[in-house]
Amino acid sequence: MNIFIDCTARNGKIASMKKTSTIILRDKKYDVKAGSTIRAALLKLEILPESVICIRDGELLTEDNMLKEGETIKLVSVISGG
Amino acid sequence: MKCKKCGGKAVINMPQHNMGLCKDDFLQWLPEQMQKHIKKQKMFTPEEKILVAVSGGKDSLALWDMLNILGYQADGLYIALGIDEGISYSSESQRLTEKFANARGLNLHVVNMTADYGIDLPTLAKETRRGRDKPCSSCGLVKRHEMNRIARDFGYDVLATGHNLDDEAATLFSNTLQWNGDYLIRQHPVLAERDGLARKVKPLFRFYEKEMAAYTLLRGIEYIYDECPFAEGSTSTQYKELLNQLEHEHPGTKIHFFTKFLSAKKKGLFAEPTTKIVPELHICPKCGQPTSAHEICTFCRMMDRVNQ
Ligand code: SF4
Ligand SMILES: [Zn+2]
Ligand SMILES: [Zn+2]
Repeated sequence: MNIFIDCTARNGKIASMKKTSTIILRDKKYDVKAGSTIRAALLKLEILPESVICIRDGELLTEDNMLKEGETIKLVSVISGG
Repeated sequence: MKCKKCGGKAVINMPQHNMGLCKDDFLQWLPEQMQKHIKKQKMFTPEEKILVAVSGGKDSLALWDMLNILGYQADGLYIALGIDEGISYSSESQRLTEKFANARGLNLHVVNMTADYGIDLPTLAKETRRGRDKPCSSCGLVKRHEMNRIARDFGYDVLATGHNLDDEAATLFSNTLQWNGDYLIRQHPVLAERDGLARKVKPLFRFYEKEMAAYTLLRGIEYIYDECPFAEGSTSTQYKELLNQLEHEHPGTKIHFFTKFLSAKKKGLFAEPTTKIVPELHICPKCGQPTSAHEICTFCRMMDRVNQ
C-alpha cells in the first residue's frame, strides 16, 4: 500500500517537472513539451498539419492553439487511399 | 484563431482561402460552396435523380448528407465487395452506410458481389489474375460496371462520387508524371452522359480532404476510419503526402494545381487529338451496357472466365 502511494506521488512529480502533453495518432502515443503551439509540436513529430485534424475533449481545434500541460490531443488522419 | 464570419472560436483553418471558421459557419459554408459549384459546373438540377456511390468512408457519406440537406433527390449505392480479411473492412463499411441511410430515411441500393455474382472481389481478382497482388484494377472495373448498371436499371440521370480535391490533384499528378493524354483530356468534375451511360459528377472536387474529415466529424457522422487493406502504400497515398508537403510550404498549391488545369483545358491547352481516343461504343450482348471492347464487355469476360 505504501509503495503504491509512493509510486503515484513520484510519477506525478516527474510529469510536472517535464511539463508534457500527449498527442495520439492511431495507436501511437507521443509525449511532447507543453507550452508550444500544436502546430510546432506536430512539425517536430514530422506530422503535417495538412494531413490531420486535432481534437481536444471531443472538440475540433485549430493548430495555433497552445498545448497545455497534462492535456491530450487526439489526431484524426484525413488521408484516405485507394 | 477567430472565425472570419462571426469572430467566434474557429474549429478549422483553411489557409488556401485565408480563412478560419467556427463550427456553425463551417457547416453552413461547405454545403453552400458545393451548391455554388454544382450550379456553375451544371452538374444537375433539383428535378434530376441522383445516384450517389457510397463506400462508408467520410467523403461519400458527407456528400450524400449535403445533397440531402440541399434538397436534392439522391439515393445511395453501396457495393459489398467482400473484402473482409483482417479488419472486416467491407462488412463494417456496409453496416455504417446502412446505419446512415436508415437514420435519415434515405433509399440505399446494395449490390453484393457474393450473393449477386457468386464470388467476392479478392477471389475474383486472384482467379482472373488481373493485377498481381492487388485487386484494385478488378475492383475499379466491378464498381464502374455496377454503378452504370444500377443507374440504367433504375433510371438515374446522374452518378455522383465522393472524390475530393486531394483525390483529383493526386490523379492529375499521376497522369501528368506519365503524360497520360487520354486521361488528362477526360479528367473533369463533370462527364456528360453518352450512349446510355449516366452523367458522372464529382461535387466535392474543390474541397480538401481535411475539410471533408472536419465536416463528417462536426456533423457526427460515423464513417469507416480504417482504409481498405489493399490501399496501404498505394501510389495515390504517396502523391497525396507529397502534395501536402507543397501545400504546407505554399498554401493553395493543391487547389491551384487542379483548378488551373481545368481553366487551362477550357482555354484549349490540350488540343483534341487528331485520331479519335474516345473509342466507339457498342452494346455488350451479355449485359446490355455500352462497351468499347470487341463483342462482350470486359466485366462479362472476366465473369465468364471465373465461371468456366
Ligand atoms: S484499395 Fe480496396 S477499395 Fe480501393 S480499389 Fe483497391 S481493392 Fe478496391
Ligand atoms: Zn463563426
Ligand atoms: Zn457486359
